Formats: sequence, structure tokens, C-alpha cells
Amino acid sequence: MTTSDFDFSVRPSRRAILGGIVGGAAALSMPHIARAAGDKPVLVTSIRSLSNPYHAIWKDGAEAFAKSVGAQHVTLVSEGNSEKGIADIRAMLAKTGGKMVLNSDPNDTPDARPIVESCFKAGAYVCTQWNKPNDLHPWDFNPYYASHIEFDGVKSGSAITQALIKAMGSKGGIVAIGGQISNTAAIERKRGLEEVLKAHPDVQLLDFQVANWKATEAYDLTSSLLTRFGDKVGGIWAANDDMGTGALEALRAEGLAGKVPVVGIDGIKAAMDAVKAGEYAATVTSDPYWQGGMGLSIGYHAFMKSFDPTKESKDHREFYGRTTTITKDNVADYIKANVDSKPVYDWNDLWGRCEGQIRAS
Amino acid sequence: MTTTQADVPPLHHGPAIAAPRRRRLHISRASLRAYAPAVVLLALCLLVTLANPSFIETRNLIRVANAAAVPLTLAMGTTFIILIGSIDLSAEGAVAVAAMVVVLLAKNDLNGMDLGWGAALLAVCAAGLMGLISGLVQTGLRIPSFMATLGTWFIGLGLATYMLGGSAVRLMDPRLRFLALGRFGGLPVAVWVALAAFAVAAVIQTQTRLGRHILALGGGEDLAEYSGISPARVRILAFTLAGLFYGVAGVLAATQLGQSNAVIGDGRLFAAITAVVVGGTALTGGEGGVFNTLIGVLIVTVLSNGMVLLGISPYVQQTVQGLMIIAAVALSLDRLRLKIVK
Repeated sequence: MTTSDFDFSVRPSRRAILGGIVGGAAALSMPHIARAAGDKPVLVTSIRSLSNPYHAIWKDGAEAFAKSVGAQHVTLVSEGNSEKGIADIRAMLAKTGGKMVLNSDPNDTPDARPIVESCFKAGAYVCTQWNKPNDLHPWDFNPYYASHIEFDGVKSGSAITQALIKAMGSKGGIVAIGGQISNTAAIERKRGLEEVLKAHPDVQLLDFQVANWKATEAYDLTSSLLTRFGDKVGGIWAANDDMGTGALEALRAEGLAGKVPVVGIDGIKAAMDAVKAGEYAATVTSDPYWQGGMGLSIGYHAFMKSFDPTKESKDHREFYGRTTTITKDNVADYIKANVDSKPVYDWNDLWGRCEGQIRAS
Repeated sequence: MTTTQADVPPLHHGPAIAAPRRRRLHISRASLRAYAPAVVLLALCLLVTLANPSFIETRNLIRVANAAAVPLTLAMGTTFIILIGSIDLSAEGAVAVAAMVVVLLAKNDLNGMDLGWGAALLAVCAAGLMGLISGLVQTGLRIPSFMATLGTWFIGLGLATYMLGGSAVRLMDPRLRFLALGRFGGLPVAVWVALAAFAVAAVIQTQTRLGRHILALGGGEDLAEYSGISPARVRILAFTLAGLFYGVAGVLAATQLGQSNAVIGDGRLFAAITAVVVGGTALTGGEGGVFNTLIGVLIVTVLSNGMVLLGISPYVQQTVQGLMIIAAVALSLDRLRLKIVK
């Protein structure tokens, strides 16, 4: 978008001047594209926001990859607004003439289709992560829709459940705090919890409540659950770390931190520190640093013709990425390698973390 | 002389004679409205206790108080704004800014700052400054409060996001964590802070000129202006005051969670407005006040605590909250006086 898109009134009113300032700011805020170096594509990362730690690390990984190949990198932020996300991508496609590689975490499931179709039309290579409609497949948009990456929520949900049950000595009661009710990740992670619980009759699920992925809601919820179940609460299962750390602080306010183990998913720093301190039994990370870099790397290599997406098997086109479960056994090493320093990955190892084709469901 | 007096009743006697009859009718309806929130709160407590007696255990009541601390402080600010008939959407942004400032200036895991209580003070001031800006933007540029505070909301959120580098920064200062973890007379310190905020708000509403001017503005801004009140001045002061309350709430939220991220205020705006409205303060302004809001905050908190105690499915809880808002507004509004519903 440029200032010329604005229709200024003839008489310069205060409103018009303000509009001009806003328009100018909007134009300035759009990434300024110098001519891309050599024959390399512009690398574009499209994420929801930089206000969550997860996507901030994602961007770090993207920048690390861009630096490794000496290509220009641009980050687009949708701020949770699907239309803005898609419009920004289209603007970038127009600006680069399709000479770009996109790694997108679509804001919402339906967004993936217009994003992929726009890239396909413009001849730009694209990778999507987490969200896409079930009937949208990379092989239907050859060769430009290179890959789609997700992480198996059932597997993550069961991994932390196992760690929690182990920390509880295989008996007692669990209260579970889920994510948004209708969210796919929330549903899958809950399924993982239920599957593991079936195999452990000595562990009961006291209650399953939701805190909409938020620490603050989990904080209040946990203290209510403590009233309802009192000493029966032997462990707290949270569908993400934000809620898990919120629950942990509620335990701390009651002097129970470290006595009632907590688990979560995402691998945020506070959770890893809590694992180290023995207050948190486990967290799972999908490694956003890797997601940010690898999503671009796959598209980049397809663009540079170092591999041909059309010749790859389906389990390289639509795959679950490998996650890491962090417990007290490996937390020190993980923090050292991934938090205190930037991890060093071989971005040419495109399929090293494939864990099979995504289930059709 | 005597005849004249008999023929023309003195003016100042008029209302005194007419009042008893009219007031009796008036009281029944008005008092029902005035006490409805308190009755709802009592009924709610009774119902939850009957279903699960552990509700009235001291332990749980303390937890309810603790859960109400942040919403109460926040809603004090929102109350004044709604009393003048405006709306303030900036609460989440102001909370995020205050939480960001306190965490970044106190001992944390990102930088070397360690200002202790000074950090909390500066955080409250920062949020107050945001309120001041909201007020100035509205009065100076003549932008409706809805849009002006929407702007400051996003400015606050953006600022917090930028300063925190998009990640959660942890608060490591034990003095500030004491607000959440320490206890005084059995109650968490945060609850005392919230009660102090409530007391300050009550004094402002009942004892100060600003408090009366806020009510006057809500009752009718043109009338208030004719009476010599400067609406711009009252508006700016009210928004600054609200900002200060949001600041205290932000500090409390950060100390409770032991961390600050840009989304620490998420969902709090809706909770605060719900509490104010459920307490019986009219969205049209001029009616209600901080005492209503105290009841409103307790209703909302007891309800969410109660629904967990009762084991109500999370699928149903949101629906119950929605029903409660409609019921509260229906109870608190004098709909006979509403000519137009839009």
C-alpha cells in the first residue's frame, strides 16, 4: 500500500492531514524492498504476532537461515487478522514479481487456501505450518506448494501425560487445563491425555477445564480447582506452557510449588526454568527456531532447483515434525544449546525431522 | 396575609408534601434495582454453598478474594469512565504497559535493572500517563472515547510487545513477589492492595469534587457544563485516574504471575466492563458507582469459582456468563425510562 491509495480531499482539513500521516506511516511500515541480491528469492515469513515468545523465536530462526544463504528476509505480521495476513502476502508477491519464498503460519485454517493459491499464481514457493484445510494438498499445487508441516498434538499430549504420571509415582489425581474448546491443537492434545490415562487405572482425571491458552485464566482456575479437590490434586496437566506456568504460580501462592508437578507444551523459557527448578515435570517443544528456518529452507531449495518437490513422496510434502520432550534429565543441555546460545542447524537437512505423513482426519 | 398563604402554598413546602406519597412508590422499584446485584450475589453464594459446602471454607473465600484482586482494581478505573458515560477500551493496553514497566525496571531475567518498589511506582505512573493521553486526545482532537482508547490500547500493546522483545520476562524481585505470595492477617497482600484501591476510589467518588463532577457529567454533559463544570478537565482527570488504577492492576497481575508478557491483559477489559455493568452501573453514565462495582466483581468472581466447584462443564460456563450479563443489564436498567433501544 502506498500513500497514493489514499483519496485526499481537496481542502486540506485536519482529518486529511492526519490521514496523510497515517498513510505515510503505513507506507513506511511496509518492508522496504531493495532489489534482491543476485538470483536469490526474497525470503518472506508470515506469522501471527511478535508479542508471543513462540513467534519471536520463529523469526530468529528465519533470520538465521536467511543469513546462512545471504538472501534478503522480510517478516509480515498479521496481528491475528486473517485479511491483513493475506493482503500483506499478496502485496509482497506483487512487489517481488513472485520471486519469493514464503513460510507461513496461517492465522486461521481457511487462510491457507488463498495464500497457497496466490503464491501458485505468482510462481512463488510456499511452505505452510500448523493450519490448513484437510482437502488442501501440496501435490495439487505442483511445484510451488513445497510442503506443509505440523506437529502431532496427540503425541505431545501423551508425552507430557506420561512424564506427569511418572513424576506422580503412577498414582493420584490429575486436573487438566485445556486450550480453547474448538481449537484443533487443544482437541488433539486432550486426546493424547485421554489415551495415556486409559493405560493407567490408578491415575484419575479429576476434572478437565479450559483456560483459553492464557496464564491469567489458568491462575484463577487452578485456585478454584484446589478448593474443589484439595489434597487429591496430585498433578496438573496444561495444554500449553502459558497456562502451565500460570497454574504453577497459583500453586506457589498456596505454598505447593514443587509439591504438585505441572506439565505443559511449547517449551517456553519460564517452563524450562521451572523444569530445571523441579517444579515442572515436562514440556514439549516443536522448536520454533527450526520451524522458522526450515520452512524457508524447503521453499528456498525448491526455488533454487536443488530438489524437485514433484518428485518427493507425500510424507515429505505433508509431514509431522519431530518434537522434543524436555524433562529434568535433558533440560540443562537443552537450555545450553537452544536458549543461552542460538542453535546451529544444518538447514540443508530438509527431511531430517520428518515423522510421517499427517493423518487424514 | 393568612389567606394568601392558604391560597398559594409556599413553593418550598410543595415537594415536602408530595414527596412521601411519590417516594413510597418510587422506592420499591428503585430499591429493587439498587439492591438487585447484592441479592444476586447472596443468592449465588447460597446456591454454590448448598451444592458444594467447601465454597464457604475460609481457604476458598481467600482464594476468591485473591482472584478478585486484579479485576477489582481494574474495574475501579473502568467505573469512573462508565460513570461519565464514556467507554475505556485501553485497560488491556495499560495493564500490559504497567506490567512491562514493572518487570523491566525491577529485578528480572532480561536486563540488570533493580529498582524494587520504584519500578512499581513508575509502572503505575506510566499507565496513568496513558490515561492522560487518552483524555487529551479525546478533548483536544474531539475524538470519541471509544476510538481514542482503542488507539491507546493498541499503542500500549505495541509498546509492551516491543519492549519485552516479544517474550515473557520473569519478575525476580522478592519484594514485589511478596505482593502476591506474602500474607497479612491471613489475606494475600494483593487483596489488601485491591481493598486500598477500592477505598481510594470510594473516597474520590463520595468525598471529592472530581467524584461529583464525574457523576454530573454522566447525568448530562450539557447541563454540567452550564453549571460551570469544565467537561474537558473532568474527562482528562477521570481518564488519568482510570489509568492509575489500571497501572496498579498491571503491577498486581505481574507479581501474581511472576512474569510479564504483552498479552497479560488479555480478556481483562471484558471482565472489567462485565463487572461494572453486572454491579448495576448504567452504561449510559451518571448512575451507580464503585460500591456497585465491588458487588459486580464479586458476582463475576464467585460465579467463575462456583462453576468450577460445581464441576460445570467448560462448554457450558461461557454460556452462563453470557446469560448473566443479559440478566444483569435487564435487572439494572430502568427500561420504563428508555424511549429508544438501539
